[in-house]
Amino acid sequence: MRCEQARQLFDAYLDGELSGALATELGAHRVKCPDCRRALALMEVSGHVIASDREPVALHGDFADRLLACTDSKSLRSRDRLRRGLYIAGLLAAAAVVALAFLGAFDRPAKFAGEKVETARPLAVPSPQEQSPEAGNRGASANEDLLEEWFKETQDNWAAKRQSGESLQRQFELTISQMLDILRQAKDTSPGADHFPGADGEVPASPPEPAPTDDEDVEDL
Amino acid sequence: MARGMVRETAVTPSREYERQLVGRAQADDRLASRELVELHKDRLFSFIWRMVRNHHDAEEICQEAFLKAFASLGTFSSEYRFSTWLFTIGYRVCLNHLRRKRALTGELDFTALPHDGDSALPGSVESEEAGRLKELVWSAVDRLSAPQRATLVLFYRHELSCHEMAQVLELPVATVKSHLHRARNRLRELLESVTEHELQEFRNRAGAAG
Repeated sequence: MRCEQARQLFDAYLDGELSGALATELGAHRVKCPDCRRALALMEVSGHVIASDREPVALHGDFADRLLACTDSKSLRSRDRLRRGLYIAGLLAAAAVVALAFLGAFDRPAKFAGEKVETARPLAVPSPQEQSPEAGNRGASANEDLLEEWFKETQDNWAAKRQSGESLQRQFELTISQMLDILRQAKDTSPGADHFPGADGEVPASPPEPAPTDDEDVEDL
Repeated sequence: MARGMVRETAVTPSREYERQLVGRAQADDRLASRELVELHKDRLFSFIWRMVRNHHDAEEICQEAFLKAFASLGTFSSEYRFSTWLFTIGYRVCLNHLRRKRALTGELDFTALPHDGDSALPGSVESEEAGRLKELVWSAVDRLSAPQRATLVLFYRHELSCHEMAQVLELPVATVKSHLHRARNRLRELLESVTEHELQEFRNRAGAAG
């Protein structure tokens, strides 16, 4: 056997997959060839070191505790995120309904144009301090009432402003700003608002944000 | 070296027991989750530490791998071993970590990193030659590419077959064999270049002592 042939058998030999006859051939070559003997010895000894050398470091004893605490806080955070997402989605839906209603109002000028309104009344949007405790406790239904009342008053106001010749853009800006005020109040009185993560000063022991895991092929590093 | 020598001594649960544990963990059983962590943490950490050679990074990667595994436990297929699946996640996180590190620091040179500890067994009697040889071997391993290093550690230290390594590394079996072949030859080349000089030094010292 030549060195070239012998070296092709090294992997199979090291994997323990060499058949008896070939293993004997390789052994015979190994005895008489110092280069192959040395090469194989280096591969064998490095494999042995990798397999048997003890790790110089170990995980901290409380690793499992810390890890499970992280999983708890993560699931808690995901529940909070879901609740907050649903709440915001509700607010956005309400805003969308109001906005659509106004767009509808644009399309029906005749209805309002015909109405006789003396003066433009200020919007009666109560501040959080002025709000009655009952309204705050009723939560979503109270907010709906507020929006409905505001919507009615705004319709009247719009008609009045159209009569007085105020610009359409200005009217729209005012309306949007009032609508946002109402939504802000609704958020302040929401029972879930106090339970957002960090709202009560609690800082959960959380793991670092996981890096995005690519599904790329392995590349040489 | 033929396989089957001294290996990691972690207790490997039966597949059936492992399946039960995973099922319970999927149903938010905290005890089952803890048992899964306890069963696999040391082996996973050992593998990751050999890949990144830094205690703090290895612990963070290990934690991230477990968190990702628990977060996507619903997608786990019992067709695979949990350990194989976990190692796959750990290896991916490792590669991402190494890519980020390479992006920050340029080419990685593990041999320049400070070692976290002495690899000699505490209290064990080890000859100077054996200790030096271990240093040389690990230093050569550090010079290999990530897939080559991974195949060597998984094959020799964790006793994974080429088929299992292919699952962990998400590569074809032929590619894994190629990585292992190249890793062995690269290791031999690196060791050949240094051991001759080292051996000569030992001989000279032994001659002077004699």
